[in-house]
Amino acid sequence: MLEIRHLRSGYGRVTVLWDVSLTFREGTLTTIVGPNGAGKTTLLKTLAGLIPYEGDIRLGGEPLRGKAWDLAERGIILVPEGRMVFRDMSVEENLSLGAYPRRCRAAFASNLERVYSLFPRLKERHGQLAGSLSGGEAQMLAIGRGLMSMPRILLIDEPSLGLAPVIVKEVFDIIRRLKEEAITIVLVEQNTHIAVGVADDVHLMRSGRVLLSEPAANVDLDRLHDLYLAREAQSA
Amino acid sequence: MIELVLQAIFSGILVGSVYALVALGLAIAFGTMRIINLAHGELVLLAAYTAYFVETNTGLNPYAAIPLALVLVGGLSAVLFLMINRIREHRELNSLILTFAVGIIITNAILLAFASDVRTTTSPLLQDAVSIGPLFAMNGEVVAFAVSLLLMGGLWWWLKGSWYGQAVRAVSSNRDAARLMGINPVRTEYVAFIAAGVLASVAGVALYTMSVVQPSIGHAFTVKAFIVTVLAGVGSIPGVFLGAILLGVTEALTVTLASSALQELAGMALFLLVLFFLPTGLFGARARRG
Ligand SMILES: Nc1ncnc2c1ncn2[C@@H]1O[C@H](COP(=O)(O)OP(=O)(O)OP(=O)(O)O)[C@@H](O)[C@H]1O
Ligand SMILES: [Mg+2]
Repeated sequence: MLEIRHLRSGYGRVTVLWDVSLTFREGTLTTIVGPNGAGKTTLLKTLAGLIPYEGDIRLGGEPLRGKAWDLAERGIILVPEGRMVFRDMSVEENLSLGAYPRRCRAAFASNLERVYSLFPRLKERHGQLAGSLSGGEAQMLAIGRGLMSMPRILLIDEPSLGLAPVIVKEVFDIIRRLKEEAITIVLVEQNTHIAVGVADDVHLMRSGRVLLSEPAANVDLDRLHDLYLAREAQSA
Repeated sequence: MIELVLQAIFSGILVGSVYALVALGLAIAFGTMRIINLAHGELVLLAAYTAYFVETNTGLNPYAAIPLALVLVGGLSAVLFLMINRIREHRELNSLILTFAVGIIITNAILLAFASDVRTTTSPLLQDAVSIGPLFAMNGEVVAFAVSLLLMGGLWWWLKGSWYGQAVRAVSSNRDAARLMGINPVRTEYVAFIAAGVLASVAGVALYTMSVVQPSIGHAFTVKAFIVTVLAGVGSIPGVFLGAILLGVTEALTVTLASSALQELAGMALFLLVLFFLPTGLFGARARRG
């Protein structure tokens, strides 16, 4: 459904992604793992329209170009690294902003109900300022806000960042439920064990390149970790 | 004596409500663009002179000038935005110079057109006094207060309830996140600038009906808006309202108890005191809610 061919992007004169080619299949969950600085966030930002690129990205065969706000209208929705909730607005106002794209406004009420049933904690705290939420709650809010945008493809960047293990599990339970609803998801994670566990496809990135692409069922976690830590030269 | 003080407080509250409109206009443009529009006070002044022009030429009530003021001031705000938006480098500094210059041009255009005399409404209806218990006011002051409250209520509703208003708040809160919500930040800044122009239009007409204007006082409105913003912290609408009333009351008490020559100075003194002792504003580090 989303095809990336020979993608090159970065920040100004600094190239971060070199010739990345990837395919994300409709209704599946793709996990991208890789060490710090691999370019995972840069990839998601590029897909979301925050960074210009060279190469070819197609959504359902249609070329994908435009500013972030146009792509949000087309259903490319990013749940960014660090959550980026609107801290000085209430939980419900944050969710309401998720419904800002025109195509989402009519279904606002029913989507809100759905998000609240997925995240009862957000419902309890609907009037609270987002800036006063715990890390786990803020992550749930960021995901809930993404769902309010009725994603055709949902890009989630490091949802486990800075969360206690039991909260990580809670967040991944939700991600698993979204997967069951056949939402197309691209998940970037450092927590390989749990992230590979929910995935259909797994890609490993390092230094702006894709080193490995496999169905999750075939992934050998030990080998993945070796590649991850750049020990492949020794083990080969 | 006590009556005089009460009367000053009362008058201060009435004029303070209009200061709140002026300050909210400055704040809404600043919130989205991070740019201080130094011509904001002159936009208010332009609206006041539009009211004067309409009243003297048609004999209508000055409030009938609001549509014309909206066109002139809103249009000028739009032009100002387009100019600021063309600045590519050092936007913060260059926009200060640009808006300062535009303010001077507006002031001198008004001076050319209307001379330097002090103007105020001649409408007997607005100048008639009403008494509320032991306190007195001009009808014009009471009407201006009511109009300001209505407009603030409208602004509050707009920021909370409309998609454009929510976009304005989202861009003020987190520009990058707003982009991801499908919000075009530059278009939103444009909307915010025009909203600021609407606030300035009504504030200018209201000030003309309740007080006196002359071409030289445009920048004083901008300064008042600054003082209110500092008093209110980074502003919620109720915070700005209270800060503006505090400024209005301080000015009115200074005029009553000391001298009208000290009016502007008192505002400045208040400003400095708050900056030194309560740098996050009177209401603490309150979250901004629009
Ligand atoms: N705004 C920026 N300007 C310049 N270089 C940047 C910028 N953001 C990231 N980089 C660089 O791009 C490279 C890839 O960063 P990126 O954030 O995509 O990595 P990542 O895989 O998401 O890492 P992490 O797991 O730590 O989040 C890094 O070398 C980083 O220094
Ligand atoms: Mg990252």
